[in-house]
Amino acid sequence: MIHEERLKPMIKMAMFDKNDGKACKPMIQYARTDYISMQLLGSLVTGTIAFVLLCVMWGLYDTQELMKMLNGAYIFDLLKVVLVKYGIFMVVYLTVTYIVYQIRYSYRRKQVKIYYKNLKEINMIYEREEKLKSPSQQE
Amino acid sequence: MVALLEIKEKLVQIYGKYEAYIIPLLRFLLGVITFTLINVNIGYMKMLSTMPVALILAALCSVLPVNAMIALAAIVVLLDLYALALEVFVVGALIFAFIYFVYYRFSPRYGYNAVLMPVCFKLGIPYAVPIGSGLLGEMYSVVSVVCGSVIYFFLKGVHENEATLNSASDAGTSATSKITITLNQLLMNKEMFLVIAIFAIATIVVYIIRRLDIDNAWMIAWIAGVLIEIIGLISGYLLLGIPGKIFGVILGGGISAFLAWGMQFMFFNLDYTRTERLQFEDDEYYYYVKAVPKAVVTSSDKQVKHIHKNDDKERITKKKFAEEMDIDEELLN
Repeated sequence: MIHEERLKPMIKMAMFDKNDGKACKPMIQYARTDYISMQLLGSLVTGTIAFVLLCVMWGLYDTQELMKMLNGAYIFDLLKVVLVKYGIFMVVYLTVTYIVYQIRYSYRRKQVKIYYKNLKEINMIYEREEKLKSPSQQE
Repeated sequence: MVALLEIKEKLVQIYGKYEAYIIPLLRFLLGVITFTLINVNIGYMKMLSTMPVALILAALCSVLPVNAMIALAAIVVLLDLYALALEVFVVGALIFAFIYFVYYRFSPRYGYNAVLMPVCFKLGIPYAVPIGSGLLGEMYSVVSVVCGSVIYFFLKGVHENEATLNSASDAGTSATSKITITLNQLLMNKEMFLVIAIFAIATIVVYIIRRLDIDNAWMIAWIAGVLIEIIGLISGYLLLGIPGKIFGVILGGGISAFLAWGMQFMFFNLDYTRTERLQFEDDEYYYYVKAVPKAVVTSSDKQVKHIHKNDDKERITKKKFAEEMDIDEELLN
């Protein structure tokens, strides 16, 4: 016999699995600090690549200025400017990463809580069914 | 109005029933428009810029996720730019890669704006995208609106300077000049900065008003968005000395207002929970479930119940209800 009561939370759980399950997996596997640290590390790599791309674009756009700075005694000035800009860019990029993933973690953690609530409900239904079954089996 | 509401409910029903076909069809149509516009405007690679190729790519897009369309469109654009000049291809690839690392790492969800924005620009209704993003999306969708606008202005600049940039026809233009000309389409384009600023403000304002706890928040939001776009762009164009675009702004703004009204009508306060097809099992059965969202108004014979203030007297309490049903009150908690 199909247990309709049991089906409701099961359907909700299946919907969660299908739609958000994959995205919510890290929220089950990692603690908040670990998750955020991991994302910050990822952003350190992608942010650096993005900054290098910007530098390449600037180099291509203003080749003459770049060559002038590389040839003369301005190479340290150039390095200083690039490093300062890299620092500012990365601070902004990592701050955005921190905020975005903090919010994302909180939101998905809530979804995971709802999932576990449904799981608990199913467990309770099973336990109740077991209890109902056991006296009849004893007889 | 009731007739319109019924049509809306019918549409929702049809959508729920045939969602599996409607979504791929819409993706296919968007794909056809996107690849045709790419072919018409920057179709420099003749082998690629044909209708059959566009149809095949659109058919692929209809079965793949939305982000696959963005990837395919980016590849086609880059190949076209390569056919035009290697330098333009390099700049295009750098811009696309930068956008990917800065934005898509965080939120690929609103990535379709990167395709939708240039398409709507070409159709003369770009003003609808910021309003749509503000009404239906999250605050950060503003970044995707900005990315879409940058891509449009970049490709527009390339199209307008194709004679200078073309590697075959003009050997006199050096590689550095070509790169400078291409990047100037972005860096020296005051119109682009104006449009991006106005669209970003409009998206944020629409989003904030839409979320306010006030009556008619959606309507106020899109009206405010359209007004910001029209007034902002007209003032900006007058300041930049390009008054020729004002008529287009008013016309496009009017059409966008109509589209925004359509969005409000179709999406306001409506849970477009999709029809879900699920498979799961317990210890006794395998379940293949199709969960269909409920329709609210279905037929013309609906009854309207008027609720007056003095209905308080009739409001039933839990205690009364429990007594009436002859059950324990705790069962209602």
